[in-house]
Amino acid sequence: MTTNGATSDRQPGKLRLGVYWASSCGGCDISLLEIGEHLLELIEVADIVFWPCVADFKYRTVADYPDGYIDVCLFNGGIRSSEQEQIARLVRRKSRTLVAYGACAMDGGIPALANLESTREIFDAVYHSNPSLQNPGHVEPQTHWATPHGDLELPRLYPQVLRLADIVEVDYQMPGCPPVGTQVWKVLQAVVAGEVPARNAAVRVGCDNRSVCDECHREKRKVRIKEFKRPHLAIPEPNWCLLEQGFVCLGASTRSGCGALCPKAELTCRGCYGSAGLATDQGTAMLSALGSVMDAVTEDRANELVGQIADPTGTFYRFSLASSALKAHRKP
Amino acid sequence: MSQADLTPVPVETPTSQPWEPRIIAFLCYWCSYTGADNAGTSRLKYPANVDIIRVMCSGRIDPDLIMTAFAQGADGVMVCGCHIGDCHYIAGNHKTMTRMPLLSRVLQDFGIEPERFVHEWVSAAEGDKFAKLVRQVTEQVRQVGRLDWPGRMYRRGVGHGEDLQPWGDQA
Amino acid sequence: MFDATDSAASGSTPGVQAPRVGVFVCHCGGNISDVVDVKRVAEEAARMPDVVFTTTHMFHCSDPGQALIEQKIREHALTRVVVAACSPTLHQITFRRAVERAGLNQYLFEHVNIREHVSWVIEDKEAATAKASRLVRAAVNRARLLVPLDKRRIPIHPAALVIGGGVAGLMAARDLGDRGMKVTLIENRPFLGGRMAQLWNVFPTNEEARPLLSNLVRDVVKHPLITILTGAHVVNSEGVVGDFKTKIKIDARGVDERLTYPGNAIAACPEETISEFDFALSRRKAIYMPYPGCFPPIPAIDWHTCTKCGKCVAAVGGKGINLDAKSRELTLHSGVIILATGYDPYEPLLGEYGYGIFPKVITLQQLHRMLDPEGPTAGALPFDSNTPVRIGFLHCVGARQIDGVNAPQPDGKVKDYCARTCCTAAMHAAVALRERFPKSHITSFYQDMRTYGRGHEEYYEQASQQGVLFVRYSPWHPPRVDKDRTGKWPVVVRTNDLLTDGLPIEVPLDLLVLATGVVPHDISELVTMYSCAVGYDSFLLEVHPKLRPVELAVSGVFLAGCCQGPMDITEACSAASAAASKAAAMISQGQVEMDPFIASVDEEVCTGCQTCLTVCPYDAIVRDEARGLAIVSEALCTGCGTCAAACPSSAIQQAGFNDRQVRAEIDVLLGV
Repeated sequence: MTTNGATSDRQPGKLRLGVYWASSCGGCDISLLEIGEHLLELIEVADIVFWPCVADFKYRTVADYPDGYIDVCLFNGGIRSSEQEQIARLVRRKSRTLVAYGACAMDGGIPALANLESTREIFDAVYHSNPSLQNPGHVEPQTHWATPHGDLELPRLYPQVLRLADIVEVDYQMPGCPPVGTQVWKVLQAVVAGEVPARNAAVRVGCDNRSVCDECHREKRKVRIKEFKRPHLAIPEPNWCLLEQGFVCLGASTRSGCGALCPKAELTCRGCYGSAGLATDQGTAMLSALGSVMDAVTEDRANELVGQIADPTGTFYRFSLASSALKAHRKP
Repeated sequence: MSQADLTPVPVETPTSQPWEPRIIAFLCYWCSYTGADNAGTSRLKYPANVDIIRVMCSGRIDPDLIMTAFAQGADGVMVCGCHIGDCHYIAGNHKTMTRMPLLSRVLQDFGIEPERFVHEWVSAAEGDKFAKLVRQVTEQVRQVGRLDWPGRMYRRGVGHGEDLQPWGDQA
Repeated sequence: MFDATDSAASGSTPGVQAPRVGVFVCHCGGNISDVVDVKRVAEEAARMPDVVFTTTHMFHCSDPGQALIEQKIREHALTRVVVAACSPTLHQITFRRAVERAGLNQYLFEHVNIREHVSWVIEDKEAATAKASRLVRAAVNRARLLVPLDKRRIPIHPAALVIGGGVAGLMAARDLGDRGMKVTLIENRPFLGGRMAQLWNVFPTNEEARPLLSNLVRDVVKHPLITILTGAHVVNSEGVVGDFKTKIKIDARGVDERLTYPGNAIAACPEETISEFDFALSRRKAIYMPYPGCFPPIPAIDWHTCTKCGKCVAAVGGKGINLDAKSRELTLHSGVIILATGYDPYEPLLGEYGYGIFPKVITLQQLHRMLDPEGPTAGALPFDSNTPVRIGFLHCVGARQIDGVNAPQPDGKVKDYCARTCCTAAMHAAVALRERFPKSHITSFYQDMRTYGRGHEEYYEQASQQGVLFVRYSPWHPPRVDKDRTGKWPVVVRTNDLLTDGLPIEVPLDLLVLATGVVPHDISELVTMYSCAVGYDSFLLEVHPKLRPVELAVSGVFLAGCCQGPMDITEACSAASAAASKAAAMISQGQVEMDPFIASVDEEVCTGCQTCLTVCPYDAIVRDEARGLAIVSEALCTGCGTCAAACPSSAIQQAGFNDRQVRAEIDVLLGV
């Protein structure tokens, strides 16, 4: 492990820690609590200087910090709006080390699945056609609004979710939806001790460099997939590879580090730890791997098997659409 | 700066020239590439829009390469291999047979029409079939029009760093 | 916890000198330059990074053309060479050798096809030039990333296995033996000789088939380097060129050389069955010899028919017959394999042209058995009382069939290929019949007369001179074979004669001989075992009909005779000799060279997901359990690259076709 002597890159005194959420669900913020009683140890050595989820921080507060004031900022969530982009740029300036924390910041995550829809379609779903909706005036969010006290400028929704790294330079990536507690604590310990690898956006922290299959207890029998099954419609045989049984498990294309949590619970790996090895497009990597292990010797059979896979795009690119080669649907 | 990921320079197409479809064809060496040779030796004519990339077996054709081709501005992609049963590597084309329909479904989810992505078996003797295929694919890609993935993504105008500075004048 | 593999394994290798690329664009006479502006192609290539030299030449494959490449490599210290010319299938080897002569690794050469893929197919000169330029520049970009590769060399086990003991297999075995090679010849029937032994007389020499065959069998049997195993079936095959391990099962023969009077044993046997050797024209015993002079010269027991009654044992006093003999298995090691599995005559469907319904409708093979003085009828033909006799030959039975006209075979296809041998064979038989029955009337119903070989057309001429009547039928309206309403003749053939403008014709016959086609002997298990390429007609498919005519794509496996397509004996023998000489050449090299485009696993990157283990069709990838990594067995890898595409962590790369090299082409083709 290389270290860049992060201690020297850090101001004397307590570590200044920032946490921000952009286009995300809040699970990443909660994941920080998963370190449990270690939180007390953390507070001993670190000050929270920015964490809108737990305390009130104004934009102004952060903007008034000198550049590089925050030692480490854990930024979760992708970039979907102009506001998020601004904050990303702001915390980049104010942070010595910026970590894309969690699947959304790193790969777009679940919100990036909306990249398959246009902004118009999203607005229609959210403000007009949703059956549980009460919006008789068909009001939609506006970016400009004139009030008696002056014009309001409100954030604009971007046509697609971007990764944090698409907007600003990122020092480290930390995968997971959300990152598991043990890994979070390990990373925080390393940060506190200054034992971090050289800065490189391609370097991932809080994970291992194997695949989920590697840490999964299930046995591979080198058999091809004869039929695709959905997890809620069939009971998997214990201890046998879920993929070989026909459940679309993304373990092979997903980086290890979570401890194969999902397969242990009889659930398919959903791929939240991002691409494995040198692959950059996790979804396509899975598509290729899965497409190579189907039991078909005729085209009819091949088409039949392919037809059995429910929502391949949503499944393969569940967390990584913003990192894929195509990134989004072509519609405007 | 990784913004380059999002905003690649658009393909340099002189605006004075009319658009011509750019199609990449991945061909296995043993059957389809030789089939394309056969079209040549038979002096069959076809349009110049399809550029051939040779691999040893269609099993080598990683869907990632096809995604990349579209992302970099291809209007269409063709994948050709030996007929099922004729693979020189036993069953390399069986993987193509299962990967490509799956890829086709995914491409459609991204809004890439099936006309733009064609996979077909072409034997070493089927020069005629290859020539017909090139004509057909070129024509159908022309019909669905220019894809221009890099340009589309660029024109969306996201990530260009407009500064709203909601926090005021400082910084 | 922290992972640094990404930065470690990606990116270019620092400290390596920039490549120096030379681009050579060929005019190919005018084949390319008449359409493609080769000068412009060279100029545009010159603007690519790392290109230090470009030129064009009238014929780069010519000696001066090659010499120019070699000279320029030395002169400009080129480290990469791109030649834009014809298809790599033609001259890739030529240029690789030239590059190697100039001291450069041959895999630092990149071939661009701007003839078959550009100048011969694209009419618009501007578009053709632009395409040629794109392809050349893409190749340059790819060439920049090429790395030196070494041909793989695998030691070769100095022995050959010949599968099939017909004339082609015998010939191949003899030729190999004569070159000092150790040979094992296996035949799955109990006797050698194959289909040729069933013929009475052969064209174009009018020699009797079996004496001719016996000479060959004698050579093989006496050869000290050749081992013959009859009743031997391939059970399993492992390994690759250089060391094939073929597991075979040898049926119990039940009889050995101590049986001195086989006749007594055969006579004593009470069990009979149809003789396959005589095409069901006779019956044979459960202990049998198909014909006098067969090899091995001792009977075999057909265990399906034998009841183990013991009468044969009693008749010979117990010597030389063992009814409790067991089959045995053994494994043969060989560096190369020759497939000489032969053909089966097309068996007409029941009722096809009256076959199986009218006893006087027979096949050409059956006619040969009948004409054989040692055959089931001792040379007599089964005519009724009509004189002079009327004999008909019907061509293209089970050959050149048309989908929708002819009934499909059990596999759903029709036999649409020409069986090549039957026209001459039918004419040869017709001439022989005219000689034996000078007053006979012979009619030949044909589609096209394809007596194509040397000395073959003479049979057609002879037949014409001897008054054989030719009736040409349309393949769209095949002749109908019916019962004669008058009852005078066994059968009547009705058709329209194209030679007389399609007039309907009705020919009553004493005997109708169906000149049946040729189908490959069923070797589906071998096809799977050796992953043979098979054509649409179900015959084995060579790598290239002209350039590599007796080689299968599976390295080290050669083709001899009718397993590859319909051939007459002359051709089968030529093919067998060719296969033997290719096989011998390979063995005498001592080692085999293979393309180095194999897969390799980057151990730093492999994540242990095991996807590749399921994907590899050759089981060439194994898992190192201790380290949790995939390992490619270089000797087993054939270089298809399927695992490289399947690997979800891009840890597997195929030499010569790695991701960066292929992407380098895409980048240029799409103008990025």
